Amino acid sequence: MPDFMPFFVSGLATASTYVLSAVGIVVLYRASGVVNFSQGALGALAAFISWSIVERGGPEPVAWFAGVLVSTSLAFLYGRALAPRLAFSDPVMRAVATLGVALILLGVMGYVWGELPRRLRLPTDTMSFELIGVRITATRAIAFALAVLSTVAVMAFLAGSRLGLQMRALANNRDLSALLGVPVLRADGYAWIISGALAGVSGILLADLQRLSGQTLTFAVIPAISAAVIGRFSSLPATVVGGVAIGVCEALLTPVPVIGPFRTAVPFVFAVVALLWMQRKSTFVYR
Amino acid sequence: MTDETLTYSLPVDTRKVRLKWLVTALVAVGAVYVLSDAMSNYWLRTFISAAALAIGSLSVSLLFAQLGMVSLAQFALLGVGGWFALRVSHGLGVPFELAILAGGIAAAAFGLIVGLPALRMRGLYLAIITLMMAGAIQVLISAFGFPDGGAGILGKSSGARVMMARPFLAQTDEAYFRYVAVVLALCYGLVLLHVRGRPGRAWAMIRRSEVCALAGGVHIVAYKVWAFALAGFLAGVAGGLLAGGVGQLDGSAFPASQSIMLFALTIVGGAYSWMGPLIAGLMLRAFPALLNDFHVDGNIATIVFGAGLLHALMTAPQGIAGQLQDATKALRAKFSGKSGAAR
Amino acid sequence: MIEIEDLTVMFGGVRGLNALTATLPEPVTGLVGPNGAGKTTLINVLSGFVRPTIGTVKIDGENLDGIALHKRAAFGIRRTFQNEQVVENLTAGGNVTAVLDNVPTDRRPRRELVEAALGFVGMIPKVHVMGADLNAYERRLVEIARATIGRPRLVMMDEPGAGLSQDESEHLRSVIKGIHDYCGAQVLLVDHDVDLISATCVATLVLDFGSRIAYGPTTAVLADPRVRAAYLGVAEESA
Repeated sequence: MPDFMPFFVSGLATASTYVLSAVGIVVLYRASGVVNFSQGALGALAAFISWSIVERGGPEPVAWFAGVLVSTSLAFLYGRALAPRLAFSDPVMRAVATLGVALILLGVMGYVWGELPRRLRLPTDTMSFELIGVRITATRAIAFALAVLSTVAVMAFLAGSRLGLQMRALANNRDLSALLGVPVLRADGYAWIISGALAGVSGILLADLQRLSGQTLTFAVIPAISAAVIGRFSSLPATVVGGVAIGVCEALLTPVPVIGPFRTAVPFVFAVVALLWMQRKSTFVYR
Repeated sequence: MTDETLTYSLPVDTRKVRLKWLVTALVAVGAVYVLSDAMSNYWLRTFISAAALAIGSLSVSLLFAQLGMVSLAQFALLGVGGWFALRVSHGLGVPFELAILAGGIAAAAFGLIVGLPALRMRGLYLAIITLMMAGAIQVLISAFGFPDGGAGILGKSSGARVMMARPFLAQTDEAYFRYVAVVLALCYGLVLLHVRGRPGRAWAMIRRSEVCALAGGVHIVAYKVWAFALAGFLAGVAGGLLAGGVGQLDGSAFPASQSIMLFALTIVGGAYSWMGPLIAGLMLRAFPALLNDFHVDGNIATIVFGAGLLHALMTAPQGIAGQLQDATKALRAKFSGKSGAAR
Repeated sequence: MIEIEDLTVMFGGVRGLNALTATLPEPVTGLVGPNGAGKTTLINVLSGFVRPTIGTVKIDGENLDGIALHKRAAFGIRRTFQNEQVVENLTAGGNVTAVLDNVPTDRRPRRELVEAALGFVGMIPKVHVMGADLNAYERRLVEIARATIGRPRLVMMDEPGAGLSQDESEHLRSVIKGIHDYCGAQVLLVDHDVDLISATCVATLVLDFGSRIAYGPTTAVLADPRVRAAYLGVAEESA
C-alpha cells in the first residue's frame, strides 16, 4: 500500500494552481460572459517571461512581477480591444475566440522558447517544513496560501466593494446594467485584469510544480475549467471545492497501478459527472 | 443575428445549376488525375493527408453549420478512428474498406458516449466537454501508441512496425490519392443526403429554436445525437484514411491543440460552404509543409491559424470560402453588365 | 373537444392559471382577455411547454398528461407563435415537410400533402422560396400550413392577426374559418382583435387573472358587462 501523503500534498499544491486559474475564469465569466480558454496560455507566457528574466540574471521578484504584468496586460488588452468586437455573438463564439488567442500564444511560445524540458525554479523550492509527519516545500505551502487568500479576497471584493457590485450587476444583466449607468467597460476591464493576474500567478506556480512547457501549461486550463463547471460558473466556493477535488484526485491516482496513466482524464470525468448532476431534473424552459 | 446554415448549392439560377455542377465535377476529377501524376512524392503524401483531414473538417463543419454545435474533439476522434482501423487491419487482416468502416463506427461510438451528457445542455458545455475529451484522448493515445502489427489488446509490436495494408485497388501513392478523393466525395455525398433529407430539416428547425423544433414534433436530443454520431463517423473514417496514407500513425501526433486547430481552420476556411473543409484540410497540412519547404518554424503556422480564427470570427463569419463566393458573385455581376441587380 | 378541469399553473408565487375549468367543443373558439390573463399560459399548457401544477387537460377524451412535448405534434396538437418560428434556411415547402416528417400521414405521397397544405393557405407559388425571403404575413401562413398538415386535432393560434393589412386580415379570416372543414381540427384563437374574433369564432372563452370570467357564443360574451369591465376596467352601471 503506497504512502499517499506525499501525493496528497503535491496534489493539494497543483490543485491550488487550478483554483487560482478557475477563480479567474469564473470571475471573468460572471462579469463578461466569456469563458477564457486562453487562461492557461496566459499563465504559460507569464512563466516563460519570468524564467527568461531569471536566466538572464535578473532579480527574481522583478521576474515574477514582469510575468504577471504581461499576463494581466494581455488579458486586459484582449478584453478591451478585441472582445468588444464580439460582444453581440453568442457565448460559445466568444469563448471560441479565446481559443484563437490560446493558439497565437502557443505558437509564440513555441517559436521563441521551443518545447525543451525545463523547470521554473523558485527560491522557496529548497525551503521546507514538517507538518504532521509530512515534508512540505515552501512553494507548495505558498501555492496553497495564495489560492486561499485570493479566493477570499476575490469573494470579499465582489461582495463588499463598489466595483465588485458593478461586476455582479454586469453578470446578472449586462444591458440592464448599462441602462442603469453601471460603467460596463470599466467593470469589464477590471474583471479581465483580475483574471489575467490570477492566470499569471497560477502559471508561474504550476511551471515550478510540474514543468515549464507551453503545451502542458496551456492545457492546464482544462482542469481549471472543469472546476469552474463544477461551480456552475457562478459559485466560487463550489469552484474551489471542485479544483481541490480534481487536483488531489489526480495526484492520488499516480501511484495506483492500472489507473495511474489515466489520471489526466480526471478533470474530464469530474466535469461529466457535474453535468449529469446538473441535468438530473431536466425541465424545459420556455421563453 | 441572421441564421446561416450550410447551403450546398452555389447561389445561382436553378436552370444553370446542372451545367455548373457538371463543369465543377469534371474540373475536380481532371484536377485529381492531373495532380496525382504531377506531384512529387512528398507533396503527394501531403495532399493525401490534406484530403483525409478535409473529411475531418467536414465533420466539424457539419456540426457547426447545421446545428451551431462546437466540437473541439474531432481531430482526437480522428485518432480514435485511426487506432481502430489499424487494430482491425493488423489484427484481423480485413480489407481496407472494412477497417476504415470499423474506425468510423468506433469513433462515432466513442464520441457519443463521452459527448452525450453535454448534448442536452447549452452549446458552451459541449465545447468544454469536447475540449476535455480531446485532452483525455491525447493522453490515452500518447500512452498507448498506435497498433503496428503486434499482438495483445494494444497491438504494439516489439519488432519492426508493420505498415497498414492499403486498399486492393490503390497500392501506389497516386492511386491512393485518387482513392481518398473518391472517399472524400462519398463523404460529401453522405452529408448532402442528410442535409437535404429529414435529418437536415430537423436540424434546421432545432437551429431556428428549440421551441420551433419541439412544436414541430422533433426529438431534439435524438437529432443532436444523430449529428454527433455522423460527425464522429466521418472523423473516424478520416483517421483510417490517414493511417493508410502514411502507413502508421504517431502517438504524439494527436495533441488537443490539433483539435483546436482543426476547428479554427474550419471556421477560417468557411464552415458554411462546401469549399470550407477542402480549404481547411489544405491549410492544416499543406501550409505547414510549405513553411517547411522554406525552412520557416512550424509554430508560425499556429500563430497564423490563431490569428485567422480571431479575424474570421470578428469580420468574416463565412470564412475564406464565403469571401471567395462573394468575390465571384461580384465578378459575375460586373461581367454580366447588369448594375445593381440582385444576383 | 377540449376539456379543462381545475387547471392551476404556478410560476413561483404567481398564479398563471387559477382553477380554470372549461369545456370547448366548438370548431373555432376564441380565447380573449387582458394582458396577463393567462391566454398564452393556457396555450403553453396545451402544447406542453408548461406543466400544470394542478388539474388536467383532455383533448378528445385523452389526458395530455402522459404525452411528451415533442410527441404532441404527432398527437395532433399544433400551434402558431406570436414570434413567428419559420425556419429561414428552409424553403416554404421545406418548412412544411419538416413537420410532415414527424406527424402521421394518410398514405398519400408527401409531395401531395405538402402542396395541399400550402395550397390551403394560398402559398403554392412560394413553395420554393426560402423562409428568409418571405414577408411577415407569408411566414404566418407557412406556420398555419405547418400546423394543418398531417392529422391535427387542435390548431392553436397566438395573435395571428397582429399587424396585418386589410387584405391580409380578410384572407386570414377565411383561412381560419376554413381549417375545420379542411382538416377536421378544432381551432383555438387568441387575439386582441375583437373584430377577428367576432368574425371567426363561434364561441369565446374570456380569461382574467387566470380564471374564466365568461364562456359562450361570441357576440353574447363580448357584450357581457363583466368582460367589458375586465378589458376597460370600468364598472358598468347595472342596467
